[in-house]
Amino acid sequence: MKKDPWFRNHLIRDAIYHAIYDRMRVDDSIYLMGEGSHMKIHFDCPAIEKEFPERVITLPISEDANTNFALGMALAGVKPIVDVITADFLYRTMDSICNTVAKTNFVSEPRTIVIRAEFMTAGPTTGQRPEALFTHIPGLNVVIPSNPVDARGLMDAALKEKGCTLFFEDRMIEDATTRKEDMDEGELESIPLGKAKIIRMGTQTASGSIHRLLTVLSYGITLRMLELMLEKEDLALDYELIDLRSIYPVDWETIFDSVSRTDSLLIVEPDVMYSGVGAEIAAQVAERGAEVRRLGAPRMTIPASRSLHGLMLPSEDEIVKMVEEMSG
Amino acid sequence: MMDMDSLYRTMVLIRIVEDKLQELCLEGEAGDLHFSKGQEAISTGVCAALRPTDYIVTHHRTIAHEIAKGADLHKLLAEILGRATGVNGGLAGEMHINNPEIRHAFSFQLVGTCVPVATGLAYALRYYRKTDDIVAVFFGDAASSNGQFHEALNIAKIRKVPLLLVCENNGLAGNIRKEYYLPTETVAERMAAYGIACRNIDGNYVGDVFQTVKDVVEYYVRPLSNPQLIEMDTTRLCWHKQGQRDIRSPEEIAKLAERDPIKLQAEFLGLSEPRQLVIWQETSEYVDRTLARVKEDPWPNEVGSR
Repeated sequence: MKKDPWFRNHLIRDAIYHAIYDRMRVDDSIYLMGEGSHMKIHFDCPAIEKEFPERVITLPISEDANTNFALGMALAGVKPIVDVITADFLYRTMDSICNTVAKTNFVSEPRTIVIRAEFMTAGPTTGQRPEALFTHIPGLNVVIPSNPVDARGLMDAALKEKGCTLFFEDRMIEDATTRKEDMDEGELESIPLGKAKIIRMGTQTASGSIHRLLTVLSYGITLRMLELMLEKEDLALDYELIDLRSIYPVDWETIFDSVSRTDSLLIVEPDVMYSGVGAEIAAQVAERGAEVRRLGAPRMTIPASRSLHGLMLPSEDEIVKMVEEMSG
Repeated sequence: MMDMDSLYRTMVLIRIVEDKLQELCLEGEAGDLHFSKGQEAISTGVCAALRPTDYIVTHHRTIAHEIAKGADLHKLLAEILGRATGVNGGLAGEMHINNPEIRHAFSFQLVGTCVPVATGLAYALRYYRKTDDIVAVFFGDAASSNGQFHEALNIAKIRKVPLLLVCENNGLAGNIRKEYYLPTETVAERMAAYGIACRNIDGNYVGDVFQTVKDVVEYYVRPLSNPQLIEMDTTRLCWHKQGQRDIRSPEEIAKLAERDPIKLQAEFLGLSEPRQLVIWQETSEYVDRTLARVKEDPWPNEVGSR
């Protein structure tokens, strides 16, 4: 069997390109554009460079106009993927995303637009995670896959979605932490936006157990941390773990269903807690009477040093302490 | 050859529609509308010179462009008055109107946005759809102080898009005068930075607008797929928008009204006053009849569903 020409390894980045390449083969209206787009596919996905060079547009460093340019192409039937690269650069294009794209989708037929960005770890303006801001704007979907299989399935769905999706690549997730089953090279499973994933069902029932069962909800890098912690025998943790995957729309059904069994929810988020993604979920779950706690980053500017940035995330010790407290 | 009489009629239609909408604004039935009174020759002349298959992208002051491009008046007025029968189901209103039927691709309330969107649309028409349709984008001189405007020109020239840039230069940014936002005499001077060719004309002579656009589009923009600017000097004879007092004195506006494009075209055509009166009367009755029907139309009931 001929090997898939794009496939070089199994990381989230490659999975995203795998989905894009697959869709580009069957849908000639998909275009890739942004700063350095030609350079990026040259290294990341030579198959696209070779097969669809005319569908890759390298644009200047003008984020705001670039997104509006993409919207203009969408008006002619194109499904643009706009790569703004660093998530912090999204602030440069807030107007075109929130005022142009989100609103045109309301006052006319919604059109497919995917905006890609990466969470970096290089300081005040190269390490921010602005995902929560976009959940506040009607007309925008926000997804943050935590593993390659989800990345591929979600990008496939985003490219079929009538609407605008902000697609984040969490570069804090190290390749080495990706598990074998999450690098599945097999058949593509499109993952609908707004569908969370239960990573692990709780192994205890609420009655007759020594301690209470707990629902833990997360996404991105902190989800990956929680997943690995479950595997550590010395920690011997037990909780029902949910990967949110879509920050908007939120899979309320899965969350409420789990919490109805456990009656308590811990949200561990990789971003600033203040007015963050977890705040809305906490409010809605608390309104239904469950116990809710949150762990996340403080409301402070990201330090330039990568190790200091790491300290902003909830630590393993903090998480263990909180889980024990809530399960006690 | 263009029928100069029909250009006159289109301008009169725009004027009367806007005057009647202004009354509705004052009565509280319409709100926050922006009118093109005194600038009608630009939308009318440009749209007449385009092919029906060409697109326009416009700004917040855009009732004139809709009419000039041939919008169904009932659907347009219904949209402005928020009725379900409007072009966009009454959800877009005046400033976000988009009308695929007449290829009015979109209008944008935020100043400057129309230029990069039009650039992307023009790119897609030429290099994705592979047609020879072009895009005419309308913006005011004040939009040239916005970053998106400059970012877009940069891309438009690099990517060689078939884009006609129509600057409606009324010397005002809302209610602010030119000395506060334009460091040059003209917007055209700024085009040198992008290698974009430009023409400066008096935008109040509809025949000149028509002919200049025809020339620029058919000899340059369409065949060469290149952006070009036509800067059109014009006069805004109305408020910026409802609820804002004009900084200009009645005397100043009266002086500008000497260049009223409708008056100039009537003179050019040699229309007698009785003949003009008949046209105004007929048009006014037509608009009244349409407005009366629109007011019977239902409100949209799907707000919040998207």
